[in-house]
Amino acid sequence: MSASARRRPDPVRIAYLAVNGAIVFFLIAPILIVGVFAVNPTPYISFPPTGFSLRWFEKFFTSPDFMNSLWLSLRVAVAVLVLSVLIGAMCALALVRGNLPGSRFLTAFFMSPLMLPAILTGLALFQLYLLSGVGRPVWGLVMGHTLVAVPYVLRTTLAVLHNFDRRVEEAAAILGASPIRVFFEVTLPLIRPGVIAGGIFAFIVSFDQFPISLFLVLPNSETLPVVLFNYMKFDLDGAIAAASMVSIVMALSVVIILEKLIGLKAYVKL
Amino acid sequence: MDQTAAGQAGAASIHLDGVSKTYDGRVLAVDDVTLHVNPGEFFSLLGPSGCGKTTTLRMIAGFETVDRGRIHVGGQDITDMPVHKREMGMVFQSYALFPHRTVTENVAFGLRMRGLARAEIAERVRAALELVALTGFEDRRPGQLSGGQQQRVALARAIVIRPRVLLCDEPLGALDRKLRQQMQFELKQLQKELGLTLVFVTHDQDEALAMSDRIAVMNAGRIDQIGTPGEIYERPQTRFVADFIGEINLFDGEAHEGGFHLDGGRQLPAPVSSGRRRRVLAVRPEKVMFVEEGGSVFSGQIESVNFLGGYTLYRVVATGRRPILVKETNLSERRARAPGELVHLSWNPQDVVLFDH
Repeated sequence: MSASARRRPDPVRIAYLAVNGAIVFFLIAPILIVGVFAVNPTPYISFPPTGFSLRWFEKFFTSPDFMNSLWLSLRVAVAVLVLSVLIGAMCALALVRGNLPGSRFLTAFFMSPLMLPAILTGLALFQLYLLSGVGRPVWGLVMGHTLVAVPYVLRTTLAVLHNFDRRVEEAAAILGASPIRVFFEVTLPLIRPGVIAGGIFAFIVSFDQFPISLFLVLPNSETLPVVLFNYMKFDLDGAIAAASMVSIVMALSVVIILEKLIGLKAYVKL
Repeated sequence: MDQTAAGQAGAASIHLDGVSKTYDGRVLAVDDVTLHVNPGEFFSLLGPSGCGKTTTLRMIAGFETVDRGRIHVGGQDITDMPVHKREMGMVFQSYALFPHRTVTENVAFGLRMRGLARAEIAERVRAALELVALTGFEDRRPGQLSGGQQQRVALARAIVIRPRVLLCDEPLGALDRKLRQQMQFELKQLQKELGLTLVFVTHDQDEALAMSDRIAVMNAGRIDQIGTPGEIYERPQTRFVADFIGEINLFDGEAHEGGFHLDGGRQLPAPVSSGRRRRVLAVRPEKVMFVEEGGSVFSGQIESVNFLGGYTLYRVVATGRRPILVKETNLSERRARAPGELVHLSWNPQDVVLFDH
């Protein structure tokens, strides 16, 4: 009886493995398929692949449209990263440390761009810019992206701050560090993992941003997702897949570079 | 001992005069505390949690504002001085080491804030780490150290700046018993060697008795008694102090010229008092003796016997009373008494303390 029970595979464990397998499959399969299309030489998206070629990558990298938009997207994303890190981290500090009245409400307010469908945010900003007569400058686009990127930085920084042992700051103060030095020597280094994690989200949110960009770009200076969308309306060839691969690699590089450069690993015992 | 390595820039006295602190403008956390700590003295603030001892320490450090009263250190009024200018060392219960810095960087922090030259910082850090026996751990991070080692880093970091006073907030609270005793010894040793003025906050009476030159026992925001460990233990001045420090038997009654009358009429051995007054008689369990029937004050049955190594603690139930605690040293010729046994108790009049309700 007990021997047969031991031999019989545990159904819970099988279910557990199946769920995990399914999750991994759905995460990786789309990327794999895009990868296959990107190197398949046929001029339309088809399966199974008929060969291997880098012609779609060549097309992507030699097209001024793609290159200009990629460059614009990168510049915007970097600006959004910097801005949202500054704003988000300062917001989080003020909310946790500032003894503000209604800080719970304020937190919800700053998180609210996440609740709103991005397409509405885009439309609202578009109308605001039109009515106020500023047109559609790149900084307007940066502001739109920053609006939806700040909550990510805010959330990750708040998480670190809530677990922060303020005794460490007191220790620095009594050792002779002025409030400003305490901030730069102790507070900032300790909340850095949270801020940087948020910054990476911010970069990716901006780099992949479509609905807001759709409203805020000018016809001849569009971000990569918008260009890809417009391209897909007329051509559905491997260049789209190649562009996607480049996008993925870019986002991944940012994560890896930031990790190597500044270190995401929280050495902080939380 | 290398004098330049650590300490003795001049240990300072500390004076608190009528210091009070309220939270929310209502709750008195610290109520009119006045105390003087001499230069080079090991001074403990002892009391249960919530008695205001930590708040008092944090006001000396400058982490809490003072609502009323003044604080002087080395004759200088520091009541309104910012924390970072106070030139004090502090050791926290949670150690509060910088987790992102190595041991060396942790200890060097205060020196770096003072803008000292690299070479001097290196030398003083080396000496401080040697002092706390942490040579060889320079490049570890706090997370890679044991609790005792972290505590030593915290100590080295605090004394390397040659503080005018060293403040310790339950610094040994997180350590296990054995390590705790060792660190008590080491801290005391270090304090004596460096001649530090040390204010030590603890809720552990044994720790306070073992280490302190003097102790202030705090209760509900006020100081009940200040004295040497011997005075605090042998001559408690309030019921709270008597009850908080060690075990004690308390009897309510009336003191008068003839001695002490327990409520109900029984006469207890006690020194004579002038005038009649309702008072509390307190006698430590180790001062209570087993005697022959004739000379006894109380007779009763042993309710429980706790063998505690060096001594045995008996609870004796006499009719109509709280059990009386008797502590007897375990000597080889003594036989153990058994629960249920009928015994007779007494004590010497000079071994009791009387105080008001």
